[in-house]
Parts: sequence; C-alpha cells; structure tokens
Amino acid sequence: MTMTEGRAMMLAGGAHLALLAGLSLSWSMTAKTLPQVVEAVPVEIVEISDMARVTEPPKPSMEAAPQETVEATAPTPAPDEAAAPPAPKPAPKTASDMPAPNAKAEPPKPADKAKDKAADAAKKAGPQRLDSQQLASLLDKKLPKAERKPLNTSALATSLEKSIPRGAQLDARATATLEQAIRSQVAPCWNPPIGGAEVGRMTVQLRIQMAKDGRVLGTPQIIGQTGVTAANSTFAKAFAESARRAVLRCSPLTLPPDLYDAWKLFELNFDPRQML
Amino acid sequence: MRFHPILALFAALLSLAAPAHAVLRVDINTGIQQPMPIAVPAFAAQAVAQTPAGSTTDLGRQVAEVISNDLASTGLFRVIDPAAFTTTVAFGDVGQPQFPNWRTVAAQALITGFVTANGDGTVTVGCYLYDVFSEEELTRQGFTTQPQFWRRAAHKCADAVYARLTGETGYFDSRIVYVSETGPKTARIKRLAIMDQDGANHRFLTNGQSLVLTPRFAPNQQTIAYMSFAGNRPRVYVYNIGTGRQELVLDAPNMTFAPRFAPDGASLVISMAVGGNTDVYRLDLSSRRLTRLTTSPGIDTAASYSPDGSKIVFESDRGGSQQIYVMNADGSNQQRISFGDGRYATPVWSPRGDLIAFTRIGGGKFQIGVMRPDGGGERLLTDSWQDEGPTWSPNGRVIMFFRTGQSSRTASGRADLWSVDLTGVNLRPLRTPLDGSDPAWSPLLP
Repeated sequence: MTMTEGRAMMLAGGAHLALLAGLSLSWSMTAKTLPQVVEAVPVEIVEISDMARVTEPPKPSMEAAPQETVEATAPTPAPDEAAAPPAPKPAPKTASDMPAPNAKAEPPKPADKAKDKAADAAKKAGPQRLDSQQLASLLDKKLPKAERKPLNTSALATSLEKSIPRGAQLDARATATLEQAIRSQVAPCWNPPIGGAEVGRMTVQLRIQMAKDGRVLGTPQIIGQTGVTAANSTFAKAFAESARRAVLRCSPLTLPPDLYDAWKLFELNFDPRQML
Repeated sequence: MRFHPILALFAALLSLAAPAHAVLRVDINTGIQQPMPIAVPAFAAQAVAQTPAGSTTDLGRQVAEVISNDLASTGLFRVIDPAAFTTTVAFGDVGQPQFPNWRTVAAQALITGFVTANGDGTVTVGCYLYDVFSEEELTRQGFTTQPQFWRRAAHKCADAVYARLTGETGYFDSRIVYVSETGPKTARIKRLAIMDQDGANHRFLTNGQSLVLTPRFAPNQQTIAYMSFAGNRPRVYVYNIGTGRQELVLDAPNMTFAPRFAPDGASLVISMAVGGNTDVYRLDLSSRRLTRLTTSPGIDTAASYSPDGSKIVFESDRGGSQQIYVMNADGSNQQRISFGDGRYATPVWSPRGDLIAFTRIGGGKFQIGVMRPDGGGERLLTDSWQDEGPTWSPNGRVIMFFRTGQSSRTASGRADLWSVDLTGVNLRPLRTPLDGSDPAWSPLLP
C-alpha cells in the first residue's frame, strides 16, 4: 500500500467513523434530555469559579466587616492534580487484577486447594468419562489468563457426583449437597452494597437458567424483592443488580452434569442480614 | 458411599412426595466486601479542538482521571490501571463498547464518555455507565459548561455513577471550606480557604489579618458563617463567596461564636456568652431577632440542626462535664444523649438524619465517633492522638475532620484534614498547601 492509498484509507475510515459516531451519539444524546450545567448552575457559581482563577482581591467589604482583603501575594496553591488527594489506588496491582473476573481467585489458597482436589478427583474418575471438572482443570492449566476462567472447581460437587448413581432421583441429602455446591460458588461473587441504611431488611430472588456445561443462560430474571419502599427504590435497584452481577460473574458454575435436570433451572434468594 | 436402608426409603418417599420438577431454591446469606473493579478509559474527543482549558483530547483524559480519583477515594471501587487496558474507546464506540475487552481486564463496570467543543465556546461532557456482565447501559448524563469548569462535569459524572451503583446519592461535586493555618504557636495566622472536595481549585478567602474559626456552609453553599477575632472581639460573621463581602451578624457587646445555619438557611444557631453564662440562641437573619433556646448555667454551645429542622443537638457542661444533648428546635425537651466514658464535644447531625458525629475526649485522646440521635449505637471511627471537628459529606457517608500532631513549646503540632467513612476503614488525608483545621463540607452543588 502506498502512502496515498494509506492516507485515503484513513480518510475514508475516519469519515465513516465520524458519520457512525455522529449518528449514534446524536441519537443517543438527544434521546434523553441532558441536564445542562450552565442552565442548572446559578450565576454565582460561575462568578466564584471565575474568581478562583483570577488572583484579584475580593470587592471591598461592608462597613461592618473587618478590613480584610485577599492579598495579591497570597501563595497561589497548585490547584490541579498536585493539590488533589493522591490518586488512591487501593490495591497495588497484583496477579488477581489480571485474570478473568473470578472472585474465587481471592483468597488464592482455597481456590488452589479446590483445584488440586478436583484434579485428584478427575484422576480417580477415569479418563473415558466426560467430566466437566476435568475439563475445567485442564483449561485452568492451559489458559491461566483466559478471558473468563472457568470457576470454582468444587470439592463438594465432586463428592456429590460420586455419591449419586447416574440417573438416580435426587434425594433430600443430594439436594442439600447440590444447594451447598451452588451457594459456595455464588456467595464469593456477591458484593452487595451494604452502605445503604435499609440493606438489612432487603432480599432479592432470581431465577436462573443453566446450560448443561454450567454456563448461565441469558440474564437472570428478578422474580421478587422484599424490603423495597418508596424512599429506597434507587438502592433497591442497585441491590438487585448486585445479585444479578454475582450470578453472571460466577458463570460457569461447576455442577454435576448427571444431575442437570435438578439444576437446569433454579432460584436464588439473596439475603445479606448475616453480613451486617 | 452407601445409604442406610431406612434413609434410602425416606429418600424414595421424599422424591415421590415432591413433584419431579420442583425448582431448586438456594439461599445466599453471605457475600464479599470488596471494592468493585471499574474501568474508566479516557473520554473520547469527537474532534481534536482547542479550548481555553486545553485540547478536547487532554480534557477527555483528565475527566477520566478526576472520575477515577473520586470513585477510588470512596474505598468502594477499585479503578483498573489503564495500562492494563487492551483497548481504548473511540468516539463512535462510546455508546456501544466491546464488553469482552473489559471482561478481560476483570472490570465489572465500565464508564465511557466523550468531550465535544461546541461552537459557542462551551464544552459538552457525555458520560455513560455500563454493567460489563449484563452488557446493559445503567445510566448516562451529559453536561455542558464553560471549558474551565470541566472538573465539575467530571465530578457530576462520578456522582451519577456512584449513585447508580451504590443506590446512595454522591458527594463529589461539593466543596470544603476550612481554616488554613501557618506560623509559630504565638503568632499563628489563620485564614479561611475554600477548595473542591478533592483538594483542587484551592484559594484563600481572607488574608489572615484576623484570626478565624469554625466556618460553616449555608444550605445554598454561597454563604459561610464563621467566627472572627476582628478588632479583638470574637464575633460571628457571614461571608458571601460570590462577592467577597463579610458582614457582622449581630452587633452586640457580647462574644458570639459557634454558628451553624438552619436547614432553610433563614436563621443561624449561635452561642453567646452573657455574664459568664453561655447559651444557645437562634438568630433570624432577616429580622436579626434573637431567641434564647437554652438557659442552664454553664456552657451550652456547638449547636447543630437535624436535617428536617425539628431538633437541635448541642454540647453542654451543665451536668459537670461536656456532654451531648438534644432538644426541640424551640428549646423544649432538652435530653442528654451521651453517657459513655469521657467528654463529648462538637456534635453534628448527619444530612441523612440517622446519626450524630462527635469528638470524644478521653484516655488522653480526641477521637471521632458517631451515635444515633437517641444516644444508642455509639461507635468510634478514628484512633489517633487528636482528631476533632467532624463535618459530614452531603450524603452522610463520609466524615471529614482535622488531626493535630503533638505540639512543642514553640511550634504548633501539624494539623491536617482527613476523611473517614462510616465503616471507619477508609481513612484518607486531604492535602492542603498549609496546615488545615475546622473543615466544613458544602451540600452538593446544583
């Protein structure tokens, strides 16, 4: 490609982009009325900010006021980033920053342990059997920085799978174990906003559809929520979304494929009272 | 593993009893408390244009930085280092980001935006928040302003994001007025100074001729009440930020101090010392009429209204030591609410109404704490040598105060502004050019 061709391509590409951008943004930004700072801000604010930039003494005070003016020689503080609080990066960059969104990566130890156990279990299970955990641990090894690391090989799920004959009806005990397998994988992904004053009285229920490989299908459906009042509806929304985000973050779940019928559709009840 | 025959029978019965397709229901009762990873790539410029505040490209980068600092300072978000990003967001992609790219860097939320220079000399900052996992747009806001006020647009964007993700109102587009201090112990110069909540746009309001103390914002954030020693007479003044005008509020022979505005801004509560007895008064600002609210012998001071204006919290030594009391706004029904060890001072009612912040003095320490308006649920949030003078963020989640180091015979201890949130965990210094004390947090700007 010659220089002119390159430039022409760039121009054409740029024009396309600009057109696309113009179209999409003009639509998207006019779709809703945007609060405008200039209109919303009283004139005074603008004047003050003007004063901030001009190191002029303020206008003379009234008689009753003390004879004070801001002297022109006042040390001019660096107003911008220098004076701003140190860019707070709470956590130094660690390995856990990099891999896929996997809350189980932190703390690292239990996850590793679970992985080892899963690997052991996979060995025992024999090679000819299709074992999602084995696949998961293989994936883990091969793609440590995969976009979405398969989550949480769970020892519980393994033991559950081993304890239940294939195709058997789920008994109460197996149900409890399955519940525990789901709970142990979803809870570490749930980061509820507990700053709100009314969080202790709020719960949310989701319905989740699952693929056989443990992936969450579609977006979890919010089927119920308690503790919502007129005053906390904004918070209620954020709260419900934190639960939905937890399920999506944790996908795929590691659950026994043999029991797929039992977990292809399930409901979760998120209740943070014990966290407070 | 083998089943006991009876258990197996039970299980068989259960499975018969329960419909085969009963939906599994699982309770999630625990979660994690971790800062949410959020990505804030530089805002895109529609076209590179020069403004008095820099090019739109530079502004786009700076806006993202200001938003990042705001969110990170809450302790509720972890802003992902832009060096880790696998992509930038071009102007055309602001409304349709490539979510897989952001899942790769473990972002749970993504803020995109743009900066556009308009023909009339203003700039428009557009701000979009996305849930990276559900791939949904959660909110969007646009702000048009003069280029030099771009930081306010950034703060407004951060406020919108904070509100959408936490369900609480934000507090970033707000300001701090405080007392800037310098000089030796015997000739300390104290000036009023004002700055943005994040320390930017710092400037001095008074020149230090007279010592000033306890600045407090009016609800309209345009007026500040404070105490000045002008003419060696400690009295309450109000200062208009827009005009720089200062005004004595009550021309009385007595010492007046500890002012605070009523929630409607029409009156002040102040303390006045008359004949060795200090009481709390309400001063109507238009009629300048004074109403006495307390009458007990001793010192009643540091009054602060509840956000609905119906009650006033104040400190009093009527019982022998400084303690916190609550009364109705007309002075009736005065009740002591602090009963812990030590003394309690400078109570401030939260803008949310649910808590009262205070300085607790005891065990050789000054500490910041909170309690409910009925005196219950007392918690200390800081533990240093001398922390005092709490002031609330506009949303009632963060408290700013000042911390003083030990002083020597000649030098004052270094005083600095700090903030702490209600968990007591997120403790942060706020840098000022000189020493800082007596901070007061403004309401959110309009």
